[in-house]
Amino acid sequence: MSAFLIFLAGALFLGGILFIKPRAKKDKVWKAVLNWTLYVAWYAFTWMGFSFVYINSSVGHVKATSTAVFLFLGVSVVLAFVLARLLGFIGAKKSDRTASA
Amino acid sequence: MEKNLNEVSRKNQPVQVSRRNFLKMSMVAAAAGAVGAVSAPAKVVSAAANSMNYIPGSKGQWSKLRPEPDYGGATVRFVEHNDEWLGTTRIVGPIKNFNEADMGFNLCARGLLGEKAQKGVLSFIAKHPLGGSINDTLMYVATEEAVSGQPAPKKMPIPDPEQMSKHIKDVAYFLRADEVGIGKMPPYAYYSHKTTVGRDKMASMPVEKWTVPFEERLPYVIVVMVDQHLETTLASTGYDGISGSQSFRGYHATGNIAVILAKYIRRLGYNARAHHARNYGAVMPPCVIAAGLGELSRTGDSTIHPRLGFRHKVAAVTTDLPLAPDKPIDFGLQDFCRVCKKCAENCPSGAITFDDDPVEYNGYLRWNSDFKKCAVFRTTNEEGSSCGRCMKVCPWNSKESSWFHKSGTWLGSKGKVSAKLLRDIDDMFGYGTETIDKYKWWLEWPENYRIP
Repeated sequence: MSAFLIFLAGALFLGGILFIKPRAKKDKVWKAVLNWTLYVAWYAFTWMGFSFVYINSSVGHVKATSTAVFLFLGVSVVLAFVLARLLGFIGAKKSDRTASA
Repeated sequence: MEKNLNEVSRKNQPVQVSRRNFLKMSMVAAAAGAVGAVSAPAKVVSAAANSMNYIPGSKGQWSKLRPEPDYGGATVRFVEHNDEWLGTTRIVGPIKNFNEADMGFNLCARGLLGEKAQKGVLSFIAKHPLGGSINDTLMYVATEEAVSGQPAPKKMPIPDPEQMSKHIKDVAYFLRADEVGIGKMPPYAYYSHKTTVGRDKMASMPVEKWTVPFEERLPYVIVVMVDQHLETTLASTGYDGISGSQSFRGYHATGNIAVILAKYIRRLGYNARAHHARNYGAVMPPCVIAAGLGELSRTGDSTIHPRLGFRHKVAAVTTDLPLAPDKPIDFGLQDFCRVCKKCAENCPSGAITFDDDPVEYNGYLRWNSDFKKCAVFRTTNEEGSSCGRCMKVCPWNSKESSWFHKSGTWLGSKGKVSAKLLRDIDDMFGYGTETIDKYKWWLEWPENYRIP
């Protein structure tokens, strides 16, 4: 199971890079660096969460599992929203409309 | 004829050496001496090793079976063992050797800590059938013949002290020790007097009748450590029916290893005595510290190992076998115990102090925990057999092998602020205080736990 999860993590990491690559490039270098940094941080944190929850639940640490689900999932979702906004997956149309108005 | 006389007289003259040549010769001799001194031990080792068909381990290696000691995630540094410090324990005056008659359970047996404790001490392990069984089995190797004896009259060839230390550690690992260390034996760790009768007879006679001076003084101590079992600890409250059995699992395993190790050393022609739970000649915590296997904790008389925490038991072998002792360790436990206090909050008997700082006790500094209260609770506990609640809740106890537990102990070894953080994280995730039912494998007979 651990080996499968590690393989999955690697495959999804590469997939994610290919997916966001067209949108991560920005007119300013620091914006591109911010996007990639945020992507790597979000990805690492999310998989740390999976690993933490998986190990704790398999051993039977009930409180650690439930706390980690909220903690890691919560932070992961917040980071994902920020990243999606910066990459233009969400909120882009709205800002376009505002600009045209 | 004259020529011959000149030759004879020249031969009889002392050798003349100029100052310059004398200095040159001295330098050459010194260099040759230095080269000889450096290469000689290796040759001796090599020769000795060849005669025993032994391939020496590499320099700096802990042992061949375990090249590096396993301290979990903790950052560990080696510290000194001298007149002022035993590891991280400060020595402030002369330390008197302790009389075995005055240890907690013997005070209970003598009736000095109440009638209930006096009754309870005779059955607090045996009241659970498993604990009683392990204890009885350990008694087979508790006789004087088992723990001590005369060495073989002829010394067998052995490698140099460094290689021999590695070999002794490998013997211990081979015999299923979880950890092993070698220390300089602190002379104050020996008992001044040793008991000679069972606890059932202690109250009926004056102490002098059943104690004898313990006079052995050997230079080294080998300490072996065995885990008290992770899953059982996770499922136990720390003071239920299995608690005493957990202790004796460790005592039995380490006791057997120590007895075998001591016999092995005696067969090599050197003095050696095993010390285990059913026949001690020494107090274990200073031996553990000297052997680099732990630091003294808030409980006052128990040590914590950087990986196993409290969840271990030890036995020891004192010996004059030539060994290269390890140094005591410092992994930041003094700072950690100062701020954590989780054991004190969870101790069912209130024996563990909440004080911030250690106090002087018998010539050294330690936290002012009350070992008498601890002994009374363990002998009179009617919810189970004995108690190991402090062991269960301590954040230093290793959990399952994982990156986050190793990160946690790394954090805990970095000073007071990070120690507080580890304690808070430990609480936030419920570690230590939880009981995980899926590992509860043992049977309980609560009716046996009551003291008549």
